[in-house]
Formats: sequence, C-alpha cells, structure tokens
Amino acid sequence: MAASIRTLALKVLSDSTRNIHHVSRCRIRHLCCRARIAGCRGYSDSTEGRSTHFGFQTVPEEEKAEKVYKVFESVAKKYDVMNDAMSLGIHRLWKDTLLHIMNPQPGLRLLDTAGGTGDISFRFLEYTRSMYDRQQRLKAKSHQTPSWQDIANHYVSDEAGCPQSRAVVCDINKEMLKVGKQRAEKAGITTGLSWVVGDAEELPFDDDQFDIYTIAFGIRNVTHIEQALQEAFRVLKPGGRFMCLEFSKVTNPLLARLYDAYSFQMIPVLGEVIAGDWKSYQYLVESIRKFPDQETFKEMIEDAGFFCVQYFNLTGGIVAIHSGFKL
Amino acid sequence: MSHALRTLATGIFSVQRSVTVLPLLRPVSAVKIRGQHRSRSDGVKGSESQPFDESLLEFLVCPLSKKPLRYDEKSNELINEELGIAYPIVDGIPNMIPQDARMIHKSSSTEKPTES
Repeated sequence: MAASIRTLALKVLSDSTRNIHHVSRCRIRHLCCRARIAGCRGYSDSTEGRSTHFGFQTVPEEEKAEKVYKVFESVAKKYDVMNDAMSLGIHRLWKDTLLHIMNPQPGLRLLDTAGGTGDISFRFLEYTRSMYDRQQRLKAKSHQTPSWQDIANHYVSDEAGCPQSRAVVCDINKEMLKVGKQRAEKAGITTGLSWVVGDAEELPFDDDQFDIYTIAFGIRNVTHIEQALQEAFRVLKPGGRFMCLEFSKVTNPLLARLYDAYSFQMIPVLGEVIAGDWKSYQYLVESIRKFPDQETFKEMIEDAGFFCVQYFNLTGGIVAIHSGFKL
Repeated sequence: MSHALRTLATGIFSVQRSVTVLPLLRPVSAVKIRGQHRSRSDGVKGSESQPFDESLLEFLVCPLSKKPLRYDEKSNELINEELGIAYPIVDGIPNMIPQDARMIHKSSSTEKPTES
C-alpha cells in the first residue's frame, strides 16, 4: 500500500513539475528531497516536450518565442502611447532612474537588448552628451585665464570632438526597431546609434565588447532567461555593468491588491480601447506575474557569473532595477 | 480672305495642338519622376535611403559561430563564409536571426537553413 501511495505521489508531483517555471521546479525538487522521493528529478530533466509559460498558459518552448514575436508585432505602432497610458507616464521616471543609477560617462558603449523603440538608448545618448557639456563647462571655468598656447591646444584637441558614446539597440522584433528608428529620425538622434535585429539568447556580438548591457522590460519575454544572462556576461567587458529594469513583486500587501486590480481590470481594457488588442495586454500582465521575484532573479544573475548584484525597488516594488558587474 | 481664314484656322489648330500637347507631357513626366522614386526606394545597390553602418562590423559577428562577417555591398548582406550563410540587411538594419539567414551553396541554390 505504501508503494502505491508513493507511485501516486510521484505521478502527481511529476505532472506538476513538468508545467511549472524553472524556479518553482527547484523548490519542488527540494520538497522531493525532503520527502525522499527521488524519481521526480528524472521527469523535470526530460529534453523533449519541454514547456514553459506564456502568461498563465502553458505552451511548448518553441512556440513561446513565436507568440511573443506576434504580440510585439501587433503592439509596435502603439507601444509608446500604451506605455504612457498604462503607467500614467511613470515609465519615463523608471527609465530616467535607470539612467541615473547607471550614471554613464561619455565615451562608453551601450548594448540595449530588447531595446525595441529605443527609449533607453536615446536617454543614454542625451545623458552622456549633457554630461560631456557639463564637464567642458567646468573645465572652462577652471581655466579662466588661459595662455595663448592653451587656447591653441584647446582648438586643436576639440577637432576630435567628444569621445563618442555608442548605443546599439538590439531586438528580435523588426517592427519594434522600425518604429524606434522612425522615432530617432524625428528626434534627430542619429550619431552613435545603431540598430540590429538579434536574439537575446544568441547575441550577434563578439566577446568583451560592451561597457554596459541593459535590458528594460524585455527579459520576462525571453524563453530561456539563464541563456540571456550568460550571453550578457559574454559580451560585457571585464568591469562592465549589467542592468535590468523589469516588473517585479510588490512588497506592500495593500498596494499589491490595488496593483492586481488595476492590472487585470484596467490594462487589457486600455489595450483594447487604444491599441485594439486585448490579448497582448492580457499576456503582458500575466507575464509580469510569472516573472521571478527580486531575490530569485538576483540569484539567477549571480549564477550567470555577475558580482555585486543588487536591486532597487521602484514604486513600491512594481518595478525593480537589478544591477551586476562582470569582474 | 479665305487664305487669311485658313491661316487663322491652322493657327488656332496649331495653338490647340500645342495646348493639348502640354497636358500630355506633364503626366508623362510625373510618371517618370514617380518611376525614378520607385526605383530609388527599391534599389538595393548602395543608393538606399538608409545605408548600412559599417562601423558596426567592429563588433558584429555571426550569432552561431561568433566569427567576424564580411559585408557584401552588391547583395546587401553580411556573409559568414565558414558556414556559408548570409544575413540580410533591411532598411539599413542587419537581421542577425539565424532562421532568417540565407544559405550560400556553391551550386548557387538558395535554401533557408532550418535552425532549431
């Protein structure tokens, strides 16, 4: 009798482990170890028919990337409008905070993965430009009475211009990049900005190339987050910084309830009214719930090899900025 | 008098002819200009409105083999000779997804590679 109960428990556990996200799978594995049922480890390691989550649905891994592509293809044109409507404009503050924490110096190279419409890259270029201007002004102030030689040298050296900061926007979705490129042209930001269609899990860049790697509101859409983190580690220079801006778990229970109500009642409605797409925004709020919380994600980043990993909660934990260094 | 009338008539006709000829010319030239624009936007040879930024080649590599690529201006593609694949460049944006790359066979047949 004990044996049949054991097999039943094994079957229930195996069914549940197959469809649960990697993180929870680890926890159940711990549970199994505690209960001394060793068989379930084999089920979760099967390579064929691996499934993952797409919002609250369970889909095979191969399909997730395609479904995510379709979501962003359909929302691309109204993406920025929807961002403003859904977050009441607060997403701009979140992105500005990311830049302030990053505090980039002029002359650095940024890889903006899942950059889509280019918000982070534009901010990066403007920030470094204004920082360079400020440095020049401070330098000019301290040299109030330069000699003729100094003035001549200054003119000569200025020919080189400011050390060129470079931002590369990489996204798997061509439509989002197209919208981003149009925005860049309208805003007149062209020098130092490049656009590449690429997969975050298989970046088309050489090792040790970038000073900063950012991924803003994109990593929860990646099928294999660990792979994306490893690729980030690979392309960063030693001393480079990994920064991730992503929706996360709200800590305050009251705020959590308000946030959930707003997410599930308002956002798909807004999606339908403004962009004419209920399902994509339903996927958005569900995918936020499926993403691991701050501590778990911090552990995942540490597993990929980053050091000094820390996170900053914004707006009560609705959004978190994770940062790590490749040392 | 009749001669004068005839010359008047031919004059009018000639004026009319010249008047009618002009409108004919205008649409033709408009079509020609439109045609030129069309060819310019379709043109793949180096005259695109958004040229490919070659400074990207400093750090852009093939996502599969991580080896440097060669920019081919004629076909507007980035070519990895080792694996024999070519990544297209659309609107000046290189498309580095392996599934969208084109295989270059020596027998000049073009098949899309099936990547998992």
